[in-house]
Amino acid sequence: MDSDAVLALTGQVPTEFVGNDAFQETDTIGVTRPITKHNYFAGAADTVGDTVGEAFELSRSGRPGPTLVDLPKDVTQDDTAAAPGPASPPPGSDPDPNADPDAVEEAARAVEEAERPLCLFGGGVIKAEASEAARTFARTYGIPVTTTMPGIGSFPEDDDLCLSWAGMHGTGYANMAITHTDCLIAVGTRFDDRLTGGIDTFAPEAEVIHIDIDPAEISKNVHADYPLIGDAGRVLDQLTAAVREAPDAEAWREQCAEWKETYPLTYATPEDEPLKPQFVVEAFDEATDDDTIVTTGVGQHQMWASQFWTYTEPRTWVSSHGLGTMGYGVPAAVGARVAADAMGEPDRDVVCFDGDGSFLMTMQELSVAVRENLDLTIAVLNNEYIGMVRQWQDAFYEGRHMASEYSWMPEFDKLAEAFGALGLRVDDYDEVAPAIEEALGYDGPAVIDFHVDPAENVLPMVPSGGANGKFATAEDQL
Amino acid sequence: MSGDSPVTDSAADAEPPAGSQPAPEERPHPEGRRNLEGIRIDPVVEAEHESRRAVISALVEDEPGVLARVSGLVSRRQFNIESLTVGPTTVEGHSRITMVVEETDPGIDQIEKQMAKLKPVISVGEVSGDAVTAELVLLKVEADDPAAVHAVTEMYDGRTLDAGPRTITVQLTGDEERIDDALDAFKQFGIIEIARTGQTALARGDTPTAPGEKPGTAGEPTRHDD
Repeated sequence: MDSDAVLALTGQVPTEFVGNDAFQETDTIGVTRPITKHNYFAGAADTVGDTVGEAFELSRSGRPGPTLVDLPKDVTQDDTAAAPGPASPPPGSDPDPNADPDAVEEAARAVEEAERPLCLFGGGVIKAEASEAARTFARTYGIPVTTTMPGIGSFPEDDDLCLSWAGMHGTGYANMAITHTDCLIAVGTRFDDRLTGGIDTFAPEAEVIHIDIDPAEISKNVHADYPLIGDAGRVLDQLTAAVREAPDAEAWREQCAEWKETYPLTYATPEDEPLKPQFVVEAFDEATDDDTIVTTGVGQHQMWASQFWTYTEPRTWVSSHGLGTMGYGVPAAVGARVAADAMGEPDRDVVCFDGDGSFLMTMQELSVAVRENLDLTIAVLNNEYIGMVRQWQDAFYEGRHMASEYSWMPEFDKLAEAFGALGLRVDDYDEVAPAIEEALGYDGPAVIDFHVDPAENVLPMVPSGGANGKFATAEDQL
Repeated sequence: MSGDSPVTDSAADAEPPAGSQPAPEERPHPEGRRNLEGIRIDPVVEAEHESRRAVISALVEDEPGVLARVSGLVSRRQFNIESLTVGPTTVEGHSRITMVVEETDPGIDQIEKQMAKLKPVISVGEVSGDAVTAELVLLKVEADDPAAVHAVTEMYDGRTLDAGPRTITVQLTGDEERIDDALDAFKQFGIIEIARTGQTALARGDTPTAPGEKPGTAGEPTRHDD
């Protein structure tokens, strides 16, 4: 669902045993068929090189996605004189990057005539390296911008036009803008229900221009009045060129700015309450450069990390969106560190915000980070709850906590030390900045166990299936 | 759970302050698309879609697992499928899959688009309404009155494949309506067993059955994206 290009190479029992329930045999092809773009069973040593090449190219072509090659043991052990040919995606999998020019012209007219135009940049903008094209389009015609959560970083959040990201825990002003826009220019988004809330109340006044490389996404969830099928960057360039004059949207821009004033992202820091997780995110943002890569697990900490950090560049926000896989943060931080180093950017910071629940799922990857001496910082926002589940149980199940409370939580700073990483613990506001400084300055993996307010909730919130324009800004509104 | 969760209207009631933009009734309304409140009335969006039967034909590469890929796609996306047939074409390495589905128009559109994304699918599309469709049925009935069974079989241009002292097995072919009529007629003898292939179809005349296919050459590998 997140359209990431991944090639998985999996080991299989020798060909002659396949289908016999041999030791450690799994029907990998069958199991992964619904979750891959395509999967391949490598039949022979002579052709396996070409197969892997095709699988690699297919994962990157069109709408990216995972591919897999299952490698039986006899094939991987075999000798071959065959050299793989140049890798190319299978025929038909590399779609035309340009949209139909006539359709672009029609969409351009809709943009010109709009009074309340709004851009919605999705993860596809980042995947297509189209952030520059997106910025040019929005700034040229003065169109306010919201993003989806995977689209964070496609447009700088400190830009006056930016309303940050929309959806269930998105900003109030982004959701108000979506609710009142009359022309939604949606790029590289699949209109997930966490973004749209109830479809009936999503952008109810808008004509929708939908740019996507995958025709199957057009009118799947939200009807597209102007479908533009193609590469996000190319089509945005086409559209920028086709629009003849900027829409008359001065009043609308003022309105959006006013919403920003009316519904700011806030949190309170009363002295008699424990450390607030939002404060930790803001403190990290302040202590790091704009090119810092943030990774997260899934849950409350993920929402705070996306809300209270100001993202300005693409690929600085690395998170699990469509499937919401807890435990994503630490392995993603390992990958981000290796990638940044490989790109010759060893000075870029990598910060993983994790929850206590998410951290417990994949913290063993710390051993990889220590072994490879990877310079990254893990901030565990530890509230001793599966916090998002606890929040829903409070809001929608009369506070009946089920499988969301931990009666005992490991001491993560000591665990980190046991792994050979730097381990720190923070309980109070005045310890936050020094701990962050020490962890960022440490050459290697560092873990800070932030003991934060267990009662803190993620707000604002549009209840599942609700109207984006009806978000709760306080707990008692849920 | 959303239905009964009380959400206050504090934010919802925050209508855009007066004066900052035209009131809804003053906004220009593209004709036929909005009501006076400015809410869109779009026949395409508002339409209640009714299910209909559609025959979908796909030209696929005949590789292991292709049927599993197609049937898995149909089941996990909860498409209503009535029948699915598969068989070779005259081009080596190509098969034709014919599917009869009962879906709304957007559902049919999604089936086609999702199938087109499968790597082994070369071309896929709905076969137009006037396509030639046929199904083969094997039918085993009680042989109490062989002459009458024979007469009905003749009436529907069937063939008797096996006639024993207690049962008679006949073969019927035809479009769905004809098959249904025939089955009704055979019911009087007592149907013991039945096996149906499901509908298969070809477009009439020069129209390609799957988009991009060249009739007469039974599908040169023309790709769906070309």
